[in-house]
Amino acid sequence: MTPIISARGLTKRFGRTLAVDHIDLDIPPGRIVGLIGPNGAGKTTALKAVLGLCTYEGELSVLGKNPSTQRASLMEDVCFIADVAVLPRWIRVHQLIDITENLHPGFKRERCMEYLAQTKVTPNQKVKQLSKGMVAQLHLALVMAIDAKLLVLDEPTLGLDIIYRKEFYTNLLNDYFDEQRTIVITTHQVEEVEHILTDLIFIQDGRIALEATMDQVQERYVELMVKPEKAIEARNLHPLYERELFGRHIFLYDNVSRDKLHDLGELHTPSVADLFVATMKGGVS
Amino acid sequence: MNRLLALVRREFWENKGSFRTTPLVIGGFFIVSMLMGIINMNQFDSDGYTTSMAVEELGKMSAEMRGEVLYQGMLGSSVMFTVVMSFVIFFYLLGALYDDRKDRSILFWKSLPASDTMTIASKLLTAMVLVPLMFLAAMIVTHLLMAIIGSIAIGMSGGNPWTLFISESNPFKVWGMVTASWLANSIWALPLYGWLLLVSSFAPRVPLLFATLPPLIFSVLQGWIEFLQTFTLKNNIGSMIKDWFFNSPAILTAEMGDEGAGIALGVPLSGHFDHAVTLGNMLDRLFSLQMLVGLAVAAVFLFGAHWFRRRATES
Repeated sequence: MTPIISARGLTKRFGRTLAVDHIDLDIPPGRIVGLIGPNGAGKTTALKAVLGLCTYEGELSVLGKNPSTQRASLMEDVCFIADVAVLPRWIRVHQLIDITENLHPGFKRERCMEYLAQTKVTPNQKVKQLSKGMVAQLHLALVMAIDAKLLVLDEPTLGLDIIYRKEFYTNLLNDYFDEQRTIVITTHQVEEVEHILTDLIFIQDGRIALEATMDQVQERYVELMVKPEKAIEARNLHPLYERELFGRHIFLYDNVSRDKLHDLGELHTPSVADLFVATMKGGVS
Repeated sequence: MNRLLALVRREFWENKGSFRTTPLVIGGFFIVSMLMGIINMNQFDSDGYTTSMAVEELGKMSAEMRGEVLYQGMLGSSVMFTVVMSFVIFFYLLGALYDDRKDRSILFWKSLPASDTMTIASKLLTAMVLVPLMFLAAMIVTHLLMAIIGSIAIGMSGGNPWTLFISESNPFKVWGMVTASWLANSIWALPLYGWLLLVSSFAPRVPLLFATLPPLIFSVLQGWIEFLQTFTLKNNIGSMIKDWFFNSPAILTAEMGDEGAGIALGVPLSGHFDHAVTLGNMLDRLFSLQMLVGLAVAAVFLFGAHWFRRRATES
């Protein structure tokens, strides 16, 4: 299958600093990819390159197009939500729908209205009269009514309360996602997205620290909780990362057989958040 | 094409206040002034001069003269629309590529399948055509209302509005001339429009300063260098901009007869263009060497605006 996004040596410099440092990447269709990294790791910059919003070095192909020269035509098949604050504040809801309909060949008005009907947003309201949560609902309604092949979400729920955040991802998963579509999400709220992701990419200092499917993650990584007296033994098995919780030692292992570990203590599948911290602090490659 | 029009409509939505309300306010100003004048003449002491006397005087004029007075009067009333419109366009273009960068909504606009070229074209088209059309519509409505009020006033003062007034007026010629002059000016002003869009596309803040300071500083410096040198440069930037502005084909003054150079905004018109209000004189500017140079300058500015617009989301 041809990848939706394909990057070779993707690099972005700001002066002397490398925001994105020679990234190679292939994202196939039908995936929900979590792009996760600490602040300033280069997530947003990498996504901007994908969306044709910044210049870059290296090769990059999105849906077979070159984003830096073909942004307008690429946007017919790509949607993105940067964060809740980017809808123009002066515009009225019906005007926003009109212009999206006029510019987007794949926009289905009925679908958008259907979705908006479930919210408190009314057509005559101005965006500045809406609450942050309602703006997010409006933006999602617009995006869900577009028959796009790639959806990029860069911190789409920043500053929203938990109810809106849950609803946002539920709608996305139930009403939008299918085998043809690919979604790329960056967020700091890893716990909220980890159960919907199919793929995980950790990015650190502009480089990919980890790239795996969720299945691979579950196969490869295991978390072991041991009592202090077994800690030294556990440490000898080269864990990626170690932490202490309520007097117990917790170790995270990459590719260590579960049989070996079983005798030492309790085994768990690590959460993405724990894996993330371990990867960032442990400096795994 | 539909996409371009959709983008122009977007500009209208965003700027409804200045594009639609402003010319209506000017029209309202004319109507109110006219009503006040009529009331003043009849109800209060105005040195004994009443509308009846005015109507009588109008009756003494030859039909030809009445037509000329009406024509010049209507043309003159367009000057206020022209001047205010220039300000509206100036500030519109200054914010056109700036405001959405400031509030970050550029990220939404760039998520739509509209190229940067098309976005800039829509802003230019708005300034060159949409705004003049809005002002034209308001001016026509104003003229019609004034004609109705004038006719009633003449009728009430014992005159026949048809023979004294309506039949001698030539509104279509006035509207046609004003439209032609505005559209001609849209082309003539392209270097300025291009410059404003360029500034708007890169200014980190206060685009007004970025738009006005560089030409100002350049003119002062050039004037200073000139002063220090024994020979004088023929044209400095300041005088070039001034000449360009006063050579505009926009009707800035209603001239009686053909005395040549008139007075616009209190400054004598200079340069070798004929300032009489004729279509020929408008075309004369559009097909001049200056225009060609101006278009080249405008193209450079617009190219720059596009360059910055493409990179507006870099960091």
